[in-house]
Parts: sequence; structure tokens; C-alpha cells
Amino acid sequence: MEWTVAEQGEGGVEIRIKGDCDLYHAPAFARDILAGIERGWRSVRVDAAELAYLDSTGVGAFIRILQALKSRGGRLSTRGLRGSPRRVIEMSNIIALLGDEGAGEVRR
Amino acid sequence: MKPLVIRKLIVDERNELFDAQGMRLAVFPSVYEKIRDYAAEILADCPSAFREGSLLEQQLSEILKNGIKHGNRRDPRKKLRVWYDLRKRARFIVEDEGEGFAELDAWNDFYRRRQTALHEEDFDAFLAMASYRGPRSDEEDGGNSLVAALEYWNGGMIYNAARNKVGVVRWFTGGSGT
Repeated sequence: MEWTVAEQGEGGVEIRIKGDCDLYHAPAFARDILAGIERGWRSVRVDAAELAYLDSTGVGAFIRILQALKSRGGRLSTRGLRGSPRRVIEMSNIIALLGDEGAGEVRR
Repeated sequence: MKPLVIRKLIVDERNELFDAQGMRLAVFPSVYEKIRDYAAEILADCPSAFREGSLLEQQLSEILKNGIKHGNRRDPRKKLRVWYDLRKRARFIVEDEGEGFAELDAWNDFYRRRQTALHEEDFDAFLAMASYRGPRSDEEDGGNSLVAALEYWNGGMIYNAARNKVGVVRWFTGGSGT
């Protein structure tokens, strides 16, 4: 799994994630993003168009990020969720919480 | 408003999902770092129609993880036994050597409250309880695998009386198993 962070000023960041957000990689991803939130990130947008695999540890990472943002008055949005990762999010009943902007309209 | 759907984890020692007759058996040491390798090995000959992208591998990996992490506490000396049958549907029985899922009833109660908050569109309450924390949970645990599993295993998800063995099945509509 790889992720890149583009800081956009005033606490806004866009994070592009790629590969497998799974039991092996999701904990490090969560720690990195939570550290950013501690530093002041308040509006986090995740581009998941190249996310190939998501499991419950990855879902847990999204929930922890969302909880951290919400407790600080921030917000999370996602876009590009598709395929199996989207189904996992839907089956986990958290799609409504992720500020989902749909599977399309992905910037390349 | 969508209907309120509350599913439950069920204990039923004599359930037909524990009948392993005709199923193949794989036995693995409880090595956490190999969970996805084990799932891939079991699914090596799986019909492509059953895979649904990576969904079947992901859901199987979750069950293997529960057995290895929570059941066998990542002790490689302890075995995980996996019976599987990929004819006409995806069916698995996974048994660990642990003490059993003692918090099963507490998890059912957590899930009921979580679903009720969602149904009532109380997103603050829903988010506050979006993750389950049992006595032995770590920060990476959230009970989310079981939330998704109850929907995914559409033919049932049953625990034995000792709660260290789970039987699951998923039927596929429109699929063409072998």
C-alpha cells in the first residue's frame, strides 16, 4: 500500500491511496494520518480510485480517522471508492459517514 | 427510511454447517503474517464467479484472522483447521484452539445498538459506537469484520457451543460453480 499527501493549506489535505489497505498496512496508514490530524489537518479528502483491496483493519483505520477529525470539528470525504473496497465499506455500514462523493469523477 | 435490519451471531452446535463430510481440509500454523497467503492457497481453484473481485478472499481472510489473532493468540504452535467446499457455493468451517469467542453476546448487543442508531440516523451515536471494544481488543480491532460478515455470508454464520469454530456459507446468484 502506498499513500501520498498533498497539503492544500488551512488544514486541508488530499490523500491518494493505492494498493492494499489490509491488516498488514492499514495500521501504519492510520498512524500517519492520525499524526497529521494531531498537527492540524481538519479537512481530509481521500482519493481511493487506486485502492485495490480493503479489509476490516482498513475499515477500522477509516473509522479512527473519522473519529479523530470529528472530535476536532473536522471532516472527511472520499471519492473513487469502487469494486470490492466499496462493497466492504457498504457491508460495514459506514458509507454514509465517509462523505462519499461516488466512484466516478476521478482525477488522474 | 430503510427497514431496520438486525442480524445476530448464532450458536448452534448441531447446525448442518458443521457437517464436514465431503469437504477438503487444510491445517495452518497460526502465523499472522501469512493470513492472506493461507486464504489465497485455499482459493487457488475457486471458480472466478465466486471471487467477486477480492471480496471472497477478503471475507475468508477475516475469518482466518479471527481464529489466528483472537483464538490462537498468534501462537504458531497452535493450528487453524479450515474445511472448505467450493462446489456450487463457498462454504467454510474454521476451527482454532482457543478459548472461544466469549464476547459473542456482548457483540450482538453492540451490533443491535449500532444498527438502531444508524436506522434512526443518529450519526453521532453511530460513530461513537462504530467500533466494538471487547476486553482483549486492541486499537486495530473494531468488530467491523463481523458486521460485514453477517451480510456477506448469506447462507449463515454459525458458532459451535465452545465458540471456537465457525461455519459459514455464501450462495451466489447467477454464478456457475463447478
